[in-house]
Amino acid sequence: MYPYIPLSVWKEAIVTSEIFAEIREAIAQGEPRVLATVANTRGSTPRKPGAIMLLRPDGTFRGTIGGGCGESEVWQDAMDTMADGIPRLTVVDLTEPIDGDDKICGGVMEIFVERVVD
Amino acid sequence: MDFSKNMIILNAIESALAGGEAVVVATLIDSGKLDHLSTGAKLLVPKFSQIEGSFGDARVDAVVINSAREIHETQLRVNVAVAYLSLANQLHFRTGKQLTSDAEIMFQLWEQPLRLIVVGAGHVGLAVATLGDFLGFSVTVIDDRDDFANRDRFPMADEVCCGNVDTEIDALQVDNTSHFVLVSRGHLQDELALRTVLGKGAGYVGMIGSKRRTRTVIDHLATEGYSSDELAAVSTPIGLNIGAETPEEIALSVLAEIVMLRRGALGERLSS
Repeated sequence: MYPYIPLSVWKEAIVTSEIFAEIREAIAQGEPRVLATVANTRGSTPRKPGAIMLLRPDGTFRGTIGGGCGESEVWQDAMDTMADGIPRLTVVDLTEPIDGDDKICGGVMEIFVERVVD
Repeated sequence: MDFSKNMIILNAIESALAGGEAVVVATLIDSGKLDHLSTGAKLLVPKFSQIEGSFGDARVDAVVINSAREIHETQLRVNVAVAYLSLANQLHFRTGKQLTSDAEIMFQLWEQPLRLIVVGAGHVGLAVATLGDFLGFSVTVIDDRDDFANRDRFPMADEVCCGNVDTEIDALQVDNTSHFVLVSRGHLQDELALRTVLGKGAGYVGMIGSKRRTRTVIDHLATEGYSSDELAAVSTPIGLNIGAETPEEIALSVLAEIVMLRRGALGERLSS
């Protein structure tokens, strides 16, 4: 019934705990943060479901949801969510290379973007 | 959004990762045509304790909670899965294309990650590491031979430690999520590894070898004053009796034993 995905949590454990600590800190400071989570993938993608990235108001981030391959598209949506607080589901299609853009991944990723701290 | 709720969820996830109660977090990532639901709503479904949050529709909550409970009970655990919710409140887990009417829900299971420490980078060690990675373990490989303990041979491992087995084991943080599989190049190495592992509180220690040879090692350690309870808990000869002969079959036998112990089962045939 459920698609089987190996738990790669441990590999992410250090980054995950750093991101959680930063969310806690941001709540205490009253600073906004946006969390991007890879929710679903088809085909070959740079990151698997569960990978997370935390975005700060200045546009810097921690963690990765797939360096280069579609990360900039998600970044723009995440900045929009930072501004308006509306969660977004971003679909990153890596199957059709844009001119001069060498995307080697070739899959589709769905990334959920939400403001976790106001 | 209610951020005190986020704090509750954050606390629950961190507790689960640290070895507490496992939790499933369900998030409505796309409300689709179900306009009365709001994207971003979350439900926290702990394995045993009380559920927190709501999607704002009791019938939807009921099907989501039901699926979250099934994820808790599934033997092969999923870390992240996406389901599509139809207008008729049916949930579908599938990898195909979603229907336009469907809302989309992300389920995330959070539980303490498990470690598999393979001492010995030979044929059996390679098969154990490969199968362990497939089963979701974080894999560490230890061997003192650099032509075996290397990244090229073990791309699936999180850590490859090349050095003396006792030194390398002493450098690890060991707790009850650590599973040690001692399958090194010889029984003297295995015995050295066993001496080093005992008393560290590992969740599983298994050592390969014949009945006679492993008996000798255990008796030897008993006379040296290692606790009999701890020696009795060592799985040796390692694995379940499935008649394993090849390295891959031995790996299956070892991992089957680990899964069986972890899930509290007995290893009998389901048909018997």
